[in-house]
Amino acid sequence: MATLLAEERTALQDAVIRLLADRSAEADVRRTMETLEGYDPALWAQLADMGVTGLLVEEAFGGAGAGPLELEAVMEAAGAALLCSPLLASGVLAVLLLQGLDDAEARGRLLPGIAAGTTLATVALTGDSGTWTEDGVAVTASSDNLSGIASYVLHAQNAHVLLVLARDGDGMAVFEVDPNAAGVAISALPTFDHTLRMGRIVFDGAPGRRLAGAAWPAARAAIDLALVGLAGEQAGGSRRVLDFTIDYAKSRFQFGRAIGSFQAIKHMAADLLLETESAISAARNAAARLAEGAPDADAAVSLAAFACADAFVKTTADAVQMHGGIAFTWTHPAHLYLRRARADAQLFGSPAVHRERYLKALGA
Amino acid sequence: MADAMTEDALREEVRAWLAANWQGLPKPQPGAGGAGWTVSPEQKAWLAKVVEARWAAPRWPEAWFGRGLPDAQARIIEREFAAVGAPGSGQDRTNLWANTLLAGGTEGLKQKLIGPLLRQEVAMCLLYSEPGAGSDLAGIRTKAEKAGDHYVVQGSKVWTSGAATADYGMLIARTDWDASKHAGISFFFLPMKQPGVEVRPLRQITDESHFNEVFITDAIVPEENLLKGLGEGWGVLQTALAYERSVMGEGARGPRSGVAESKTEEPMIALAREAGRLGDPLLRQDLAQVIAYRRLNALNTARAKADLAQGTSSPVMSLGKLAMSRILHEEARVRTAILGAGSLLEGPDHPRAEDANFLTLNAYFTSIGGGTDQIQRNIIGERVLGLPKEPEVDRDIPFREVKSGR
Repeated sequence: MATLLAEERTALQDAVIRLLADRSAEADVRRTMETLEGYDPALWAQLADMGVTGLLVEEAFGGAGAGPLELEAVMEAAGAALLCSPLLASGVLAVLLLQGLDDAEARGRLLPGIAAGTTLATVALTGDSGTWTEDGVAVTASSDNLSGIASYVLHAQNAHVLLVLARDGDGMAVFEVDPNAAGVAISALPTFDHTLRMGRIVFDGAPGRRLAGAAWPAARAAIDLALVGLAGEQAGGSRRVLDFTIDYAKSRFQFGRAIGSFQAIKHMAADLLLETESAISAARNAAARLAEGAPDADAAVSLAAFACADAFVKTTADAVQMHGGIAFTWTHPAHLYLRRARADAQLFGSPAVHRERYLKALGA
Repeated sequence: MADAMTEDALREEVRAWLAANWQGLPKPQPGAGGAGWTVSPEQKAWLAKVVEARWAAPRWPEAWFGRGLPDAQARIIEREFAAVGAPGSGQDRTNLWANTLLAGGTEGLKQKLIGPLLRQEVAMCLLYSEPGAGSDLAGIRTKAEKAGDHYVVQGSKVWTSGAATADYGMLIARTDWDASKHAGISFFFLPMKQPGVEVRPLRQITDESHFNEVFITDAIVPEENLLKGLGEGWGVLQTALAYERSVMGEGARGPRSGVAESKTEEPMIALAREAGRLGDPLLRQDLAQVIAYRRLNALNTARAKADLAQGTSSPVMSLGKLAMSRILHEEARVRTAILGAGSLLEGPDHPRAEDANFLTLNAYFTSIGGGTDQIQRNIIGERVLGLPKEPEVDRDIPFREVKSGR
């Protein structure tokens, strides 16, 4: 897969970090998560100007032509800032699916808008089972009309374009569906992570436009890259939570001393550093292996998927405990990260599923 | 350009010397009763040649077998030695004993021992820990008292490997009981082969003996064998520990049954397959997790090395030992789970059980030895994360007032 020069990657990451420090501070996140759409269109436009919305889009279609390493770097920054955005839905899943299929007309028509951030696309990958596996697809095509249910669809309620995996005879196909078409009913799902937007879609004979190409392999590749992005988000989020927890442990005094001087806190912090650094290593390694197209990329991606998910959940959960009462309040940011960590750990498969996939990738 | 010429010339010189002199060495043999690695006559002869040619410690000054070379050029020499598999170079970086002595020894002791240490003609051991001073090493109670031109030493040391064959032990002893804990310690080279030094092997929980207890009763150490000044031993020790850590490998051993494990696939997977347990979904989760722990540690280490190569320090390096403790304990737990009731057994007819049980116990070698996991977490918390130290009630009072339990 494509890769930028290391200096370009660092420059991009620095630019994103600066932008998010300014525009995705805690107050911004709290304001955005209360809105209906759940992302800030003005910030999204700035990310587009920076090339982030079209990061993975081929240059011919107005994108940056970047790959897994750049996505991972950007997502570390996004995770740290708890960015609310449709990046995974539109910029990763939809882009990768379109680029993995074999439909030049659809690519030429859709990718420039997605790269520019003006078209929001999303991918309907799984049904109510929420397995993100081939047998979890619960939409069926009949003469290009779709019926059935897609759920846990990222930003479905905001999307201009739906790309829908559907059973098609003995196989599987991707259909482009207008969210406003007859026979499409989208309802927003109430998410435990308020910074996340998901919808459930009921198709009842909805008209779809069949896209050429092998559907599930393209979907699988898109999910793998989304997992790498998610791993970056988890690693970056974990790092940020550890940082502010350490700061708190240095400044919060009880019994006449900083609570971080107590081994009960200090030892938790040391363990969290190990989890966090391991998550960073795993996420970057998965990105590198995928970028190289290495034969062990499958193992690297699944390793990152469960290691980063578990690390982010543990770091955020322990951070709440280490803060004590203050983190039991809504106004403290720790629970926002805990909610994000718990959401990220279920998207595209649970840690247990990824452990099983890892073992299979190792030949067991 | 001039530097490049010098480096090329140096590389040529080393290569030519190695080509003329290096003929390989017989495989080293472990000593009896856990006495460590014995040094063969062939190896001693080789090292003598390396020292004489001034390849052993090229960073050191000419007065001490060196060439006064900067690190980059010394590395060239080390690389050439490594390329042909010849030992003996780079001792200015790796020889714990010689480095400690050179940094703090008296002129007389240096003249006497630096050469033999580089040539491995004298054997050494460490006399640091005591039964009453483990994690709190500065709490040692072995004492050295001045008597004329020598010191008389009294006390006991523990976790000493190679004590039975050692010629000298690097000893920390208390020389001032009115000074505070760290300020009353001095550092000596104690001659081991004398009547006042008694070595007793320790029987470990693995039923092996790799360490000894050393009982010291009125042992004599000449004044010349004191490093730096009286009361400056804690500082010398820190230097010595830094050398030790910088060359310490993983240290942890693998299975000991001698029955081979798979080399073509992950050993843990192969063991589960062999036991017919690979289909157990709960066990599969455990397997994936322990394999991941080891893999993540390797990735962390690789990242730390890359950071170091770029000149930035990495917090990851200090995490390795803590990570390895978890890897070893968890692998042993999963090995046991694979065997189930089979782990009740031991002995040569039950090699897999022997390995699982041995590794379960030997995991503590890493989680206790060289600083317990708990001490390691303190170090990470304080030195990496910058958290404040615990208040130390015994730090600034005369040591004779410090409470001691066991």
